[in-house]
Amino acid sequence: MGQVDETVGSLLAEVLQIPASGVTEDLAMKDVEAWDSLKHMELIVSLEQRFGIELTFDDIVAMRSVGEIKRVLRERGAVN
Amino acid sequence: MELRGKKVIVTGGVRGLGRAMVDQLVRNEAAVTVFDLNLAGLEELRKQQSSVHCVECDVSDHEQVQAATSRYHEEFGAADVLINNAGILYSKSLIKITPEGVVRHDPTMWNKVLAADLSSVFYMSSCIVEKMVTTRTKGVIVNISSVSANGNAGQSAYSAAKAGVNALTAVWAKELSPMGIRVVAVAPGFTETGSTKEAVSETILREIVKKVPLRRLGQPEEIAEGVLSVIKNDFFNGKVLELDGGLIV
Repeated sequence: MGQVDETVGSLLAEVLQIPASGVTEDLAMKDVEAWDSLKHMELIVSLEQRFGIELTFDDIVAMRSVGEIKRVLRERGAVN
Repeated sequence: MELRGKKVIVTGGVRGLGRAMVDQLVRNEAAVTVFDLNLAGLEELRKQQSSVHCVECDVSDHEQVQAATSRYHEEFGAADVLINNAGILYSKSLIKITPEGVVRHDPTMWNKVLAADLSSVFYMSSCIVEKMVTTRTKGVIVNISSVSANGNAGQSAYSAAKAGVNALTAVWAKELSPMGIRVVAVAPGFTETGSTKEAVSETILREIVKKVPLRRLGQPEEIAEGVLSVIKNDFFNGKVLELDGGLIV
C-alpha cells in the first residue's frame, strides 16, 4: 500500500469517525451519513496540508469517493 | 489580511459608518466597491473618491443582489472581503400606550427592518461566498451588528435582526473557516451618525450618553478602525467585536 492510500485511509477514518477497515476503494459520500459537505471540506483541508498541494473547486467536487480522491491526488502530484 | 490591493465590497457605503469604512479602506489602498440604493449618494461618493466603484443595489432585494453581484464577478472576479454594513435603524416598542389606546408595533416595519438588516446579510453573503468558494479565494466576511443584539428596549425589530446577524456570524464561521474564509462581526454602540440622530431624539441620546462609561458617543472613524483591525487580524474569527465605550460590561 502506498503513502497516498495509507494517508487517505487514515484521514477518512479520523474525519468520519469510522474504522479504517471500512475505508474501501468504492466507499463514497452517499454511503456514509457523516460524510456531509462540512466533513468533506475538513477532509480536503487535511489532505492539502498533508500533501502540500492546493486543490481546485472542480477537484473538490470530483472527490466524492475514495477511488476518486486517490485519482485526483495522484494527478495533482501527491507523493506516493 | 493585508488590505493593499484587496477587493473589498462595502454595502451601504454612501454615508455614516459605511462611508467612514470606505475612506479608511481607500487610504489602505484597497480596491473598494460600494453597493448602495442611494443613487444621488453614489454619484457624490464617485466625485469625492474617484477610485471607488459604485453599484446601485437595494441589498434587501434578492433579485437585485443576484444581478449586481453577478455583474461584479464578471468584471472583477471573486471579492476578498465583504462588509455587510447596509441597514436601517428603527426604534419602536412592541406596544405603546397612548391616551387613545394601545398601539402595536407596525408589522410592515418589522418586515422591512428584518429585510434590510438581516436578509440583506444573507443575500449578499451567499452570492459573494459562492464565488469565493468556487475560486478557492480565502477571504473575510464582516457583519456590522449592534449592541442592540443584547436586547434594547424599544427596538424589537432592530434588536432581533442584529441578534440574527450575530448568529449567522457564528454559523458561517463554523461552516466556512475550513475553506479559508473568516466570518466576523463588529457591534457598535451608540455612534454619532446621521441615522442615529434621525432615529433617537436628543433627549434620549443625552440619557444614553450618561450610561456610557466614557460619557460620549462613538465616532464613525473609531468603528471603521475596528472593522479594519478585524479584517487584518487573521486569528479573529466567529466573534463579535463590541465597540460601545463600555456600555455593555
